[in-house]
Amino acid sequence: MQSRDQEKLEALKSNYHEIPYPVDLKSRIEAIYQKQKQKKAHVNLIRIGLSTAAVLTLFTIGVNTNQSFAAAMTKLPIIGPIVSVISFKFDEIDTDLVHANVEAPVITGLENKTLEAALNQKYYEESKALYEAFVSEMGEIENLGGHAGIDSGFEIKTDNDLLISIARYVVNTAASSSTTMTYETVDKEFGLLLTLPSLFVDDTYIDIISAYLIDVMKETMKNDSSKVYWVLKEDFAPFESIKPNQNFYISDQNKLMISFDKYEVAPGYMGIVEFEIPTDIIKTLLVSDRYIK
Amino acid sequence: MSQKKLTESELLRYTIDFREAHFRLAYSYTKNVEDAWDIVQESILKALSAVKRGMVPEHLNSWFYRILVNASLDHLKKHKRYVAFELDDTSPLLEFQDVHSDLDLHHALDRIPTEIRMIVTLRYFEDFKISEIADILSLNENTVKTRLYRGLNLLRIELEEI
Repeated sequence: MQSRDQEKLEALKSNYHEIPYPVDLKSRIEAIYQKQKQKKAHVNLIRIGLSTAAVLTLFTIGVNTNQSFAAAMTKLPIIGPIVSVISFKFDEIDTDLVHANVEAPVITGLENKTLEAALNQKYYEESKALYEAFVSEMGEIENLGGHAGIDSGFEIKTDNDLLISIARYVVNTAASSSTTMTYETVDKEFGLLLTLPSLFVDDTYIDIISAYLIDVMKETMKNDSSKVYWVLKEDFAPFESIKPNQNFYISDQNKLMISFDKYEVAPGYMGIVEFEIPTDIIKTLLVSDRYIK
Repeated sequence: MSQKKLTESELLRYTIDFREAHFRLAYSYTKNVEDAWDIVQESILKALSAVKRGMVPEHLNSWFYRILVNASLDHLKKHKRYVAFELDDTSPLLEFQDVHSDLDLHHALDRIPTEIRMIVTLRYFEDFKISEIADILSLNENTVKTRLYRGLNLLRIELEEI
């Protein structure tokens, strides 16, 4: 019987090895590494963008040298004290192989004109860099016969008397897609750009919110087997803590919302993951109850 | 046992060299090319982010397979094809007729609980050692052996040595 059993295993093994591979498996894998490199370049850009002094200098240069942006700024409707957001759209590209659809938000009506200009300039510069990087690679992508695209735009998460929260997204499509989000929340009245640390008296919020999220993730997985978060100790590199400046916004119901990018705390199919933080657990840590109630 | 940090180019070379084996394993869970690709891609992204944090894996191969197996299990959870089986020997979960044809044999393999099938796959189709499988699946070697015997038993295969 031994040899017949060996044969059975051999049959199973050769069957296992006879599976359809994507013909472009190798180039798909190489594309993952390529894309990671581009992402790094993008992150650096945002860091530069966040230095206000740098942004203001760029702003002056931007308006003087870029005709279309300068034109767009002067065409803005005069709305008076009402803060609103319109969009500045880059030329759309759409062929069989590549597409680019990039829009930048433009805030109008803030009383703090310096902040308004700084934010608008940051939005514009980042979108422009994204767009230009894509355009410069487009020829190469088409030559290789690949498909690729970029979609970038924004969503107003909250817009009430006190606050405006803008979420900007960048979706890179190659073999599959990746999405990154950035958020800005502005106090309309005081003209303040809110950061996560600025909401709290000290940095104990990091541990409190992290512990809460870990519980919620575990609980959610227990109750819904279709949801997966990388939070269990057997997971490879489980989620342990939010970053001090974790993505966040404040909802219309005055709740703190914590957001994670695709692949940050969960498998890709979970997409962008958001959690509402109960005000009760952070109440004593807040600088004031102006924004979060 | 190297204490050297893994570099991105080493990971790239490894994931290119072993691409078909990785893809096969993911495919054995999903039976679908695009889903298998999602799993491979996600595993590479996870490995890459670990490399960026300065990961020093003891054995690159076992380490990557651990990521790959976990990503595959995550995927099955999503598609709810994953059913937790009782692993004690008394459970009447699979009563096969004698395995006559190759077709029956392949069906039999598909019907084995995931935890057991994975071990059979790694041991006999990808030629991993028991100790390596224990490392990949974070199980002790005896558990791996027990499940392997059970797998062979379910396939009606007898071997002198596993």
